[in-house]
Amino acid sequence: MASVDIQDVRKFYGQLETIKGVTVDVPDGAFVVLVGPSGCGKSTLLRMIAGLEDISGGTISIGGRVINDVEPKHRDIAMVFQNYALYPHMTIAENMGFSLRLAKRSKEEIDQRVREAAGILGLADYLDRYPRQLSGGQRQRVAMGRAIVRDPQVFLFDEPLSNLDAKLRVQMRAELKDIHARLKTTTVYVTHDQIEAMTMADRIVVMRDGIVEQVGPPLDLYDRPNNTFVASFIGSPSMNLLEGVITEARESVRVEGGAELPFEGAPPATGKVVYGIRPEHLRLAGDGEGFEAIATNVEPTGSETLVQVRLGGQIVSAQLRERVNIRAGDTVRLSAQPDKAHLFDAGTSQRLG
Amino acid sequence: MTDIAVKATDRTSSGGRMKARGKLIDFAIDIFLFGFSIMMILPLAFLISNAFKTPQEMLAWPPRLIPSDPTLENFRSVLADTPLLRWIFNSIAFASLSMVAIVMTSAIAGYVLAKFPFRSLNIIFMLILATAIVPFEVYMIPLYFQAQMLGVLNSLWGLLLGYLVMSFGIFLIRQNVMHSIPDELLEAARIDGAGEFWIFWKIVLPLLRGALGALAVLAFFQAWTSFAWPMIVATTRESYTIEVGLALFQTGFTVDLGRLSAASAAVLVPSITLFVILRRNFVQGVASTGMKE
Repeated sequence: MASVDIQDVRKFYGQLETIKGVTVDVPDGAFVVLVGPSGCGKSTLLRMIAGLEDISGGTISIGGRVINDVEPKHRDIAMVFQNYALYPHMTIAENMGFSLRLAKRSKEEIDQRVREAAGILGLADYLDRYPRQLSGGQRQRVAMGRAIVRDPQVFLFDEPLSNLDAKLRVQMRAELKDIHARLKTTTVYVTHDQIEAMTMADRIVVMRDGIVEQVGPPLDLYDRPNNTFVASFIGSPSMNLLEGVITEARESVRVEGGAELPFEGAPPATGKVVYGIRPEHLRLAGDGEGFEAIATNVEPTGSETLVQVRLGGQIVSAQLRERVNIRAGDTVRLSAQPDKAHLFDAGTSQRLG
Repeated sequence: MTDIAVKATDRTSSGGRMKARGKLIDFAIDIFLFGFSIMMILPLAFLISNAFKTPQEMLAWPPRLIPSDPTLENFRSVLADTPLLRWIFNSIAFASLSMVAIVMTSAIAGYVLAKFPFRSLNIIFMLILATAIVPFEVYMIPLYFQAQMLGVLNSLWGLLLGYLVMSFGIFLIRQNVMHSIPDELLEAARIDGAGEFWIFWKIVLPLLRGALGALAVLAFFQAWTSFAWPMIVATTRESYTIEVGLALFQTGFTVDLGRLSAASAAVLVPSITLFVILRRNFVQGVASTGMKE
C-alpha cells in the first residue's frame, strides 16, 4: 500500500490544455473518487497515474517515489477498465493469473493466489470458463480479480460499473466497498455518477474542465459545497439554485417572482446572490408562511414525493417525505429551512460565508 | 435461408393459401439455386471426366459426362513425359512460403498501423494503399531485372520476390485490429507487465486467427494461380510452377486436351484440400470482423 501524491499536474494535447494544474493527495489506504461530467479530465488524470498517458507538467508520486517516467508495469498498480478488458481467448484463471505468469511466479503460487481471489469474489466455479460465457457482473468481478491477484500498491478504477444495469450496479458498489474494507489498498476511482462517488468514497475530488473544484469527504461536499457547480453536481435530485437580491432586513433573499427565501447568519455581502436550497429542505407550509407557487409536475416514488413548482421563471424541486394530495396545476405553499440555505456570489459562483 | 422463409410464412399466414404460396416461392428459390450450382460445378466435372477419356471420345458430340471407356492413359503420359510432380512441388513451396510471408508481414504491419498513434504511420499507410492501385504488370519488368541482378532467376527465391507483401492483407488486418481489439486490452496487458512483443504474440495474434486464416487462403491462392511472374522469372523446365507448366500443353496450333485435363485434375487435389481445411476460417474471416463480443 502507498499514498498517491499528485502535484500541479498538467496535460497538453498540442496547444490544448486539458488538465490545468491539478493537486490531489490520496492518503495510504484511502478510497478516493474522481467525479465530474464527461470531458472534465478525470479519466485522463487516472490514465496519467497508470502511465498510459504522458505527464506534460507537474509530478505524480506513488509511495513517495516520483513515477512520471516509470513504465506502467513498474508502477505497481492495477487497473480495472470500463469494458473489463479481459483477454477473450484465455480462461478466467488464465486472465487472473496473467500478470503473475509474466512475473515468472511458480505455477503453484499463481494457482493459489488465483484461487484466493476467486474465493473473495465468488468466482471459484468459473475458473475454467471463458469471458464470453460469463454475465456482465461476473466479467466485472473477473476484472477486479485480475487486479486483486497482483496485490498492487494502488488500485485504479475507470468507471468500472458503467456497463452494468442499475440493480447490479448497486450490488457491485457494495461488494467493491467491502473488498476495499478487507484489503485496505489505496484506491483511485473514476466515475461520472455522483451517487457512486457519495456512497463509496472516503474523499471525493470534484473536477470540471481540467481543474479541481473541491476535495473533501462526501458529506462535507454535500453540506458545504464551495461553489454552485459542486452544489448542483453533488446530490440527487440536485440543489435548487435561484438568483436573487438580499433584502433590506438581511434575513432573506428576494428571488424572481417576488418570493422571499430565508437564510441564517449574517450575509457577507449585499446585492445579487444565488440562493441554494436542497429539495429535501423545502417543506409544505401553512397559510401565511413561505411562498406560493404552481405545481408543474408531481412524482410519487412511494417513500417520498418529488414536487416541481414554477417560481417566477424558474423550476424548483421539493422532496416531500409525506404523501401529499397535489396535482399538476395546483397552487402549493412551500417554505425553506433557513439553516439549510446556501448563499453563493452571483458573479463568481463561489460560496459566501 | 429456406428455414427463415418457412418460419416467416408460418408466422404471417392465417390461411392455407398463403402457406402454399410461401412454399411455392421456396421451391422456386431452391430450383434457381440448384440450377446455379450446376452451372458452377459442370465445367469442373467435365474437366475431371475429360481426364479419363480417350482422344476420340473427347471430340465426340454430344459430350458425355461419364466416359464410356475410361482410361488412365492421360495421367500416365503426363506423369511420364513432364515433371508434373516437380511443378506441383514448386507451386506448393512457392504458395506456402508466400502465404507465410504475407501472413507475417500483414499481421505485424496491420497491427502497428492500427494501434500505434504516430502521424508518420498514416503516410506509410497511404503509400501502402497506393501500391494496391498500381497493377503488378507495371513493375513486373523492373522487378525481373532486380531478380536477375540478385541472381535468383529460376529459383524459389526469385518466385517469392514479388509475393512477400500484400497491401490488401495489411489493409484487411489493420481494419480487423481496429474493429476487434480494443485499446484497453493492450493497455491492460501493458499494466500487467507484458512487453510489446509478448502482447503481439500472446494477445493480438490469437485474436486475429479468423482474419489471418482468411488471408492465408487468399495469399496461398494468389501465388498458386499466379502466371505472369512465374512465367518470366522461371525459364527452365525444372523451375516452372504448375500454372506455367499447364500452359505448355497449349502450343501455337493445338491443345492437348486429354493430357491438359489430366494434369489439371491432378493439380486440383492440393488446392481443394487446403480450402477444405481452412474453409471455416475463410468464411468466418471474410464474413465477420472476428470477435463475437
